[in-house]
Amino acid sequence: MTQHTPHDKVDVNLPSNCPKRTTCGLEENARVRRAMLVGGSLAAAGVIGYPLIKRVSRHRELVFIARHQRYDGSLVQTIRDGLLASGMSANDLVGKRVVLKPNLVEPTRAVPHMTTHPTMILATAEVFRGFGAHVIVGEAPGHVRDTEMALVESGLQEALDSIGLEFSDLNYEEVKWVKNGGRASRLGGFHFPQSIVEADLIVSMPKMKTHHWVGVTAAMKNLYGTLPGIKYGWPKNVLHQAGIPETVFDINASLPKVITVVDGIQCMEGDGPIMGSPKQMGLVLVGTNAAAVDATVCRLMRLNPARVGYLQLAADRLGPIDSQLIDQTGEHWEPLAQTFEILDKPHLQPLRDGVLMS
Amino acid sequence: MWHNSLITQLAVSPVCGYLARDAGAAEPTAISALALAAHGQTDAARQAADWLAATQATDGSVAVRRNTDGPCWPTSLAVLAWHAVDPVDFAEQIDRAVTWMLSIRGKTQVRSSEIKHDPTLVAWPWVVGTHSWIEPTALHVLALKATGYGDHPRVREAVRLLVDRQIPGGGCNYGNTGVLGQTLWPHVQPTGLALWALGGETLGRGRIKASIAWLRQALCQRTTCTSLAWGLLGLQAHDSHRGGTIPDGASDWIEQAQARNSAGQRSAYKAALLSLAAGAVEGRDCLTAPEVRDTSTTRGPDHAVEENVQ
Repeated sequence: MTQHTPHDKVDVNLPSNCPKRTTCGLEENARVRRAMLVGGSLAAAGVIGYPLIKRVSRHRELVFIARHQRYDGSLVQTIRDGLLASGMSANDLVGKRVVLKPNLVEPTRAVPHMTTHPTMILATAEVFRGFGAHVIVGEAPGHVRDTEMALVESGLQEALDSIGLEFSDLNYEEVKWVKNGGRASRLGGFHFPQSIVEADLIVSMPKMKTHHWVGVTAAMKNLYGTLPGIKYGWPKNVLHQAGIPETVFDINASLPKVITVVDGIQCMEGDGPIMGSPKQMGLVLVGTNAAAVDATVCRLMRLNPARVGYLQLAADRLGPIDSQLIDQTGEHWEPLAQTFEILDKPHLQPLRDGVLMS
Repeated sequence: MWHNSLITQLAVSPVCGYLARDAGAAEPTAISALALAAHGQTDAARQAADWLAATQATDGSVAVRRNTDGPCWPTSLAVLAWHAVDPVDFAEQIDRAVTWMLSIRGKTQVRSSEIKHDPTLVAWPWVVGTHSWIEPTALHVLALKATGYGDHPRVREAVRLLVDRQIPGGGCNYGNTGVLGQTLWPHVQPTGLALWALGGETLGRGRIKASIAWLRQALCQRTTCTSLAWGLLGLQAHDSHRGGTIPDGASDWIEQAQARNSAGQRSAYKAALLSLAAGAVEGRDCLTAPEVRDTSTTRGPDHAVEENVQ
């Protein structure tokens, strides 16, 4: 069982031009858990607003894992199985607006393992269309202003054209203000694009990657790409300055209708999320709780989820990260886990602590 | 020319947005004004400039969209538009905007072995309170040079920043050259914008030369619309002095890019930007009002090397 040790703090040691140097979470989480025990509600802690009170979860969550997956394989079947196993009901999706949110942070043809593979997006679109939903793809690439370039370089444009799938350029859409549902950062709220605000369901479709500042990027961090560059810049430095773990948590706390389909087939290790090396895993993960999915992704990489800043904040507030509270369907994670290389930097080394390496 | 009909079409709706059916936004409308002015559509260009003037806040800033609280990085583009349309009629708007621009400073930090660039240099951010990045800095440098502030200390420091952020092998990205020991990749669009702003500069000439070479080989028939346009605008800024930097076939590439835009997204912003680039490739002056073209230098004087940045 993963140990939550409140004596540790993770200094993510981030340069202030980009990520904020910050200490976050375990003591805070422990304090919140104590408050729950003593007062019976997070409101008693006096730090968390209504949206989170609704979403406090010591309850169990389910994560589906499929192995032996290939981009030229039966992904439609796999993703449909995963969604149904995760409790999604096809009938509830008839006529609903579904936004698929891949990760296209800085695409280049030379590094296909950086971005969500187009066949994953097409397969997911086919499943939701089969459920009767209206499906679009939306993304606000974080490092490039030319979204058309991002679509072409990632191979997504060709894929979209092949099945007539609509794309929303979230970097330039009109926005609506949404109050910060997490309040871990100082930001009062977020300017979300209209497509995101009006969606009945957002499907976070990350690539399974290491991240050179925060350790891991998957379901939760991928939602940075729902925020428009026109308001937050390229890179989204407003978020970095407010703290990466804190804003990842806050964005997720402010978007209630999110599920996850992870491209864990060809992954990235080392200097992710851009410059890392390919790592073949052959996995697809599906889940309705992003924190539980990300905790499972960490375990599959042999990294400790309790040492990832935004998961420390999310633990038991947005969802469980304790393996005892996550039910695995499909495959169990333990025999599938492989050690992912991470940079040899002091701020990343704690991610290995408490993890069985062999 | 193929783009005459495009310019005529743009002149019908000079206030435009990024996407088809989008409400007017500051950057696309400023680019529209520049393109229309460069192609002699003065009445339509003035409509766009008037819209920008009506969007300007009392502090001189111009937000990304009308009636929003910012960010205001398009102020620089509005200045370029007003200057290209009529610098006399819009002198008051330009003055207020320049005052606002000079009051904005990107956030600095101490030097770190984890970041290759010099984070102590001050230029312009996308959003107030954040670090200086390539594209907003380039836009502000262009606007301030166009309006006679080329020798201002803020512009000189920003030029040093733009040179410092060039990746040693040529080109630049959003504004990081290397992180945690790894050199990062360049991209066409920010390289084009930076090179446009570095036109006429001799500081860091070796780096500029490397970026020109990288950009020339990166541009091709398949280059997407905005990258192609900004890339060519960057190269034209170095063409008159050194000759031959614009690739053969550039005009055809622009036409093909606009054909893709017309068949797909139908973005007025992309159409305006491609029109502007087409004008630049033809040798039109993109930044100076027609009335003053004959009486002023269109680019600032070459600036002497202030320090050895190589």
